[in-house]
Amino acid sequence: MLWAGVGIVATVALVALLAPLLAPYDPRAIAGPPLRSPSAEHLLGTNDSGQDILSQLIWGARSSTVVAGLSACLAVAVGALVGALAGLRRGLTDIVAMRITDLALALPALPLLILVVAFAGSSRTTVVLVIAFAGWPATARIVRSQTLALAGHGYVQAARGFGGGPLYVIRRHVLPAAGPLVAANLVYWAATAIVLQAGLAFLGLGDPTEISWGALLNRALEHQGVYLTSQWTWWVLPPGLAITLAAVGLAFIGFGLEPRANPRWERT
Amino acid sequence: MRTRARTGLLASYALVVLVLVSLNFFLPRALPGRPLETLSDPRSQTFVGDATTRAALDRYYGLDRPLLAQYGSYMSGLASGDLGTSIRYHAPVAEMIGKRIGWTLLLVGTAVALSTGLGMVAGIRSGWRRGEPADRRLVALFLALDNLPAFFLASVVAYVFAVRLGWFPLYGARTPFSESYGAVRRIADVAHHLVLPVAVLALQFVTFQYLVMRASMVGELGSDHLMLGRVKGLSEHVLKYRYAARNALLPSVTVATLQIPMAITTAIFVETVFAYPGVGRLMFESVGDRDYPLMQGCFLVLSVGVVSANLLADLLYRRLDPRISP
Repeated sequence: MLWAGVGIVATVALVALLAPLLAPYDPRAIAGPPLRSPSAEHLLGTNDSGQDILSQLIWGARSSTVVAGLSACLAVAVGALVGALAGLRRGLTDIVAMRITDLALALPALPLLILVVAFAGSSRTTVVLVIAFAGWPATARIVRSQTLALAGHGYVQAARGFGGGPLYVIRRHVLPAAGPLVAANLVYWAATAIVLQAGLAFLGLGDPTEISWGALLNRALEHQGVYLTSQWTWWVLPPGLAITLAAVGLAFIGFGLEPRANPRWERT
Repeated sequence: MRTRARTGLLASYALVVLVLVSLNFFLPRALPGRPLETLSDPRSQTFVGDATTRAALDRYYGLDRPLLAQYGSYMSGLASGDLGTSIRYHAPVAEMIGKRIGWTLLLVGTAVALSTGLGMVAGIRSGWRRGEPADRRLVALFLALDNLPAFFLASVVAYVFAVRLGWFPLYGARTPFSESYGAVRRIADVAHHLVLPVAVLALQFVTFQYLVMRASMVGELGSDHLMLGRVKGLSEHVLKYRYAARNALLPSVTVATLQIPMAITTAIFVETVFAYPGVGRLMFESVGDRDYPLMQGCFLVLSVGVVSANLLADLLYRRLDPRISP
């Protein structure tokens, strides 16, 4: 399962990397007559303004990879730092950090994302930041409980006793021990981020200058009568499948990492 | 002691609601887009060209007053159920949401009931046959379902069952002008429109219920009372449902309430694809129209719904499982 996931994700990343070489047309250029069915020149046809759908699909991989990668890294980095600090320092730091974490966990993510992006504007930076904001509390909780379990071990107490500061202990002991768990979390959150980004773009809240799978879906479904002809099969289905595939690939990696993250985890 | 715990719980949820309400007020004022930006943006549909009119509008909505004074009147307005006025429709937001909320409740309620039933039945079957091919197939199926984005699943279901097969209507919650139908026909019409959105919504979060039910069932497998039942020579059916499943049911009650928040937020996508006239669709439309008061009203109603459902799950859980009450 792990390697199937790695294969899928590597393919998507490779497509994103090589987009300029793979795409037959400039995704923004008018490459032919509008609303063409698939043909030798346009393997997935053209959209309502004559842009090549396959080229947009290929370039869309870039947007998903970048946004998912950045927001997942940011969310997990902030969450891991907060969780580890709270678990090591205990006392007031712990109480305050966990109060804020619980509060952030209780806020409904999707409506809040919609509200913030609608007001702040849907640039790529905003989208990355809001998705990361939705993701950090869960990681913080997990890393904190892992740190608490760890802090009781003799070698950690020894390191602290010899004057190791929290950041040193986090780097030297907490991160290596919680590493697989953090990695699994990162992957899960990347999968969620892909779906969230596509969802925002689908609702018309994506970066308007950006070519993404969600924006492709949004445009296709906004088009009057996309259901009435076979357009649906080459305009809606490919980006939808691409989003699903990328998310499933990441989820597979997550499942694959889980037994390593928690050795006592029983395979059922 | 128990009442103190419950007071603490209620207080923490009240804090969450306060944060939501305050975010709803401060976000638009802190972020680049101003509350009345659509009126000053020449590209928007509701552009007001005249600067004096704009200033008068600012005064009318109280936007020239100090921030804290605005916050105060916003809070007292909320307390009396005033959610502001829609810029596009010139109607009270509370009234507009009131007209739509019934559809969302119908959709969410039906979907949660359906996914609870489906998740429980599949979870019982799967857990009872843990590790066998039937179980593996079900696990793979439900995990795949879990990763299908709602808007995509909705579009696929719409295309297959409404467009290709023509079994169900593609859009809306009722046939236009169905008010003239008799009561039975009207109910059948609403149910007919409900099938596809409810199915998509239920499939979006059924995996959670399924996995919990399955794990809970697996936990029963090696138990002593099951062994005793087996020794007594009871039938497989009785063992499975009366002995194992009945004991394994407890967590699924909480899971059912935990599904309500997921259903409410996912409904935004499902209602959008099926043009279902609920609050989620209203929020989508208000985002497209940049109708900020309407959008904020929808945000508030949906997110307070989510938080209340979480509170309900929390209370229910404490009641059903005395071990976690202090």
